[in-house]
Amino acid sequence: MTNIFRLTLALLCVIFSIASVQAQDETAARAKLVQAILSEGTEQQKALTEIADSGSKVASDVLFAWTRDGIYIYVAPDGSKVPVMLEDQQDVEGRARGIRIIDGQPVKDASGKDMKFGDSDLNTADTDMRLRGEIQQTLDMLALADPDSDARSSAVTKLGNSQKESYIPILQTRLTKEKDVGVQKAIAEAIADLQLFDTNPTIQITGITQLAGLNSIGSLDNLKQLATSKGDPRVVKLANQAVGSIEHHIWWVNFYGTIFRGVSLGSILLIVALGLAITFGLMGVINMAHGEMIAVGAYTTYFIQNIFGAGFSFAINLPFSIAGRPLGFGLNLPGLNATGWFYQSYFLFAIPLSFIMAALAGLVLERTVIQFLYRRPLESLLATWGVSLVMQQLFRMVFGANNVQVNSPSWLLGHFTIDDVSFGYNRVFVVAFAILIVIGTWLLLSKTPLGLLIRAVMQNRSMASCMGVRTTRVNMITFAFGSGLAGLAGAFLSQIGNVGPSLGQNYIVDSFMTVVVGGVGSIIGTVYSALGIGVSDQVLQQQLGSPVMGKIIVLTCIILFLQWKPGGLFSIRSRNLD
Amino acid sequence: MKRYLLQVISLVAGLSLASQVKAQNTVKVGVLHSLSGTMAISETSLRDVLLFAFDEINNAGGIKVGDTSYKIDPVIVDGASNWPLFAEKAKQLLEEDKVAVTFGCWTSVSRKSVLPVYEKDNGLLFYPVQYEGEELSKNIFYTAEAVNQQAIPAVDYLLAQGKKKFYLIGTDYVYPQTTDLILYKYLLLHGVPPENIGGGFRKDDSGKVISAGKYVPFSYTDFQQIVADIKQFAASGDACVINTINGDSNVPFFKEIVAAGLTPADCPVVSFSLAEDELRSMPTKDMVGELGCWTYFMSLKTPENKTFLNNWNSWLQTESYPGVIKEKRAVDSPMVLSYDGVYLWKEAVEKAGTFDVDAVRKVLESGDISFEGPGGKITVQANHHCTKNVYIGETKANGQFKILETFPQVVGEPFLLKDLDDKLAAKQ
Repeated sequence: MTNIFRLTLALLCVIFSIASVQAQDETAARAKLVQAILSEGTEQQKALTEIADSGSKVASDVLFAWTRDGIYIYVAPDGSKVPVMLEDQQDVEGRARGIRIIDGQPVKDASGKDMKFGDSDLNTADTDMRLRGEIQQTLDMLALADPDSDARSSAVTKLGNSQKESYIPILQTRLTKEKDVGVQKAIAEAIADLQLFDTNPTIQITGITQLAGLNSIGSLDNLKQLATSKGDPRVVKLANQAVGSIEHHIWWVNFYGTIFRGVSLGSILLIVALGLAITFGLMGVINMAHGEMIAVGAYTTYFIQNIFGAGFSFAINLPFSIAGRPLGFGLNLPGLNATGWFYQSYFLFAIPLSFIMAALAGLVLERTVIQFLYRRPLESLLATWGVSLVMQQLFRMVFGANNVQVNSPSWLLGHFTIDDVSFGYNRVFVVAFAILIVIGTWLLLSKTPLGLLIRAVMQNRSMASCMGVRTTRVNMITFAFGSGLAGLAGAFLSQIGNVGPSLGQNYIVDSFMTVVVGGVGSIIGTVYSALGIGVSDQVLQQQLGSPVMGKIIVLTCIILFLQWKPGGLFSIRSRNLD
Repeated sequence: MKRYLLQVISLVAGLSLASQVKAQNTVKVGVLHSLSGTMAISETSLRDVLLFAFDEINNAGGIKVGDTSYKIDPVIVDGASNWPLFAEKAKQLLEEDKVAVTFGCWTSVSRKSVLPVYEKDNGLLFYPVQYEGEELSKNIFYTAEAVNQQAIPAVDYLLAQGKKKFYLIGTDYVYPQTTDLILYKYLLLHGVPPENIGGGFRKDDSGKVISAGKYVPFSYTDFQQIVADIKQFAASGDACVINTINGDSNVPFFKEIVAAGLTPADCPVVSFSLAEDELRSMPTKDMVGELGCWTYFMSLKTPENKTFLNNWNSWLQTESYPGVIKEKRAVDSPMVLSYDGVYLWKEAVEKAGTFDVDAVRKVLESGDISFEGPGGKITVQANHHCTKNVYIGETKANGQFKILETFPQVVGEPFLLKDLDDKLAAKQ
């Protein structure tokens, strides 16, 4: 009996001690973190090195937050400094619980209640560039064991660039454990890059051959240095060959990269111009307010972002008063204060709403101004230009004259790489977005009864009217649809550029150019012309090395092209008599 | 009828008497900024801070010349972002309003446009915004950062951080072009080989480099190609970007930098045209750690800066000038340098004992005029530029700068190109 009791006790002891070893590891790492945050100079460096050896998951989270100003110092009533992180979950006033780094528990006040802090209540644990460099190095060492393969390979590359041979053994041990092919390649590249700095020519040659085989762009500078050095002739010769083969590789990377950038620029032109291809191309309205429809979409995105965030408010004070009371009105909308993935998804809600808002604005414009000007293109030019000025001033009054901040959702930031050609998520997104919009528009125009009516009215308004089509309604819907497409463009443009009152002005010329080159009235022409202009612009820019010259040549070519084919790429021959 | 006439006459007489009394104790001071047009966004802030400085001085008793104190009476004119109009307005200030001094101009082209007017009419202008140098007019005092008070300290800092490759990019006009050319020569002088200076060169027929770096037009939006270029340039590590892009092109530029995964830890971007005011409309969350270099940062923790910010904020709450925005105001270097200019001029006038331009200029040139401003001590030099502290800061998520390094009391030097050429020639 006693034996069994002893055995159980022993077993329990073993289990507890395993658990406590793990807990101890974590506790030790946390203690080191606190030490690192509160200390300075060599003590801080020592603490960071020890953290790097610990391989703790908590450590990398805390260190990352530290580089992003996310660690705060809470001064306890007894005067001791307590490093804390604020929770993501904020209350209405934007305050959150403070989690102590030392034990992962919330800070409590004297009565044992959780204390909440706002961003400005606490001082951040400051970092500077040197310290962040050290933290980054610690993070890189920790990242070598990160479960995510991308994080591992970028950590490896950084160590490879460090020119410190002492990392070679660390990387070699890592290579034996590594299973991911991409990371294996990165490790091999990093080791080879570090080997270039060896004094032994044989090791240098191993490094050079390896790098040439891997087409390593990052090591090109080091190889060039070797190729012009006065070292071992074999090393110099091999380095020269390696430089040649890597430069060849770079040529291809630039080639594919430029094509992709051209397609993405073309897609932007396309989504910007597609709305105009309908309002100007199909309906024949010279719509100078098209740019402002884009801005409506962009501001809608900004508005939705604020609704998901801290709320939106504005106040307009008119410059005159009645009976001594200044006139003005304002709006104050509370925000959802969303965080995490819910906040990141704001853009998905913003896309359809941008379409709806711009379409509504288009509808109002059509009813109030354009419906009277269908047969008078010059007057419509002047009237819509006036409307565009009025709308710009409205944006200034509501949103301010300065540009507004639109933060991209995290899933649109970043990029992936295929054989050194990098594809930004936002650029891939715009290409896909453009394809979807074009297919959607094409389906609507050619496969639905509404599309049939639209085409009929656009080809011959009076004849369609005689056949019993309610042309006013079709005009209204078509114009609203074209404006809505402009709104979609605005939603996307807010992710790559400025959102300000003059946003539309920057795109109106490009839009008209794309539509005219493609052939007024032809949607497919707009697609071809957008892609053609985009790709040739990027190719010329890359070849000439100057953004301005590229644009000038493209514009000159367009002028010459329009001399030769005034109707554009796909001119529509019609029997329309108006 | 007669009675009415009498009343009117006495009223008019009273009014003119009142204005005469007033005129004895005021001095007219010109404010020449764009309050409409493209530059209004930036320049309106300078008008606001000048009004604040005038009110501060007036409330403290005005300017004491001899035994009389004069209140400042601002004459505000709008240059409307239209450069020839700047010259006309300057002429109006000098010849009709007869102002004792003018505080104004933002862009270099507006300064160049008013320069002949000030020289002809012997006026006095204080210019507050970072500029390219290579100019010295006897009628202009430059409280602005010269290139050696902004770009060169920033490059020194980066060199000290072990950066070996520098990519130059800017907007295509005189300030970025001149600054980058100076930096190109400065980097050569400090042993950076030309192949480690990115962005490309333009040479004249004799093969002399006349322009270094990559240039884009104003309001340029498509930075894909350039950022891809930077990424390849930075692939070998130890690289940084020197950014003289002006205005709202910075937003697409930084968005592209973030999307390409170029982090400040690998390849920091140091910008010379982004101060706290501009950062309010930038995606600062993604820019944490990017660098800036100015002679003032709002986050300075000196007592002078704290008092200045407190007074400025309480002035904003109580002032009643039309068109001054009260909410969410940031203060930045051009504003503080405008403010400093007013006090430097006040001190010079009080020392000279007259508003006469020649006398005031002589005192300013003596090197004795200095002011403990929000950004630290600022002293006017004989070459019309100022000695002041230079700070390197890095962007924080809240749009403020954290100060990394201070270069105390840097002497402003407008003519750098020739000096660098000589030194380069001597080195070869």
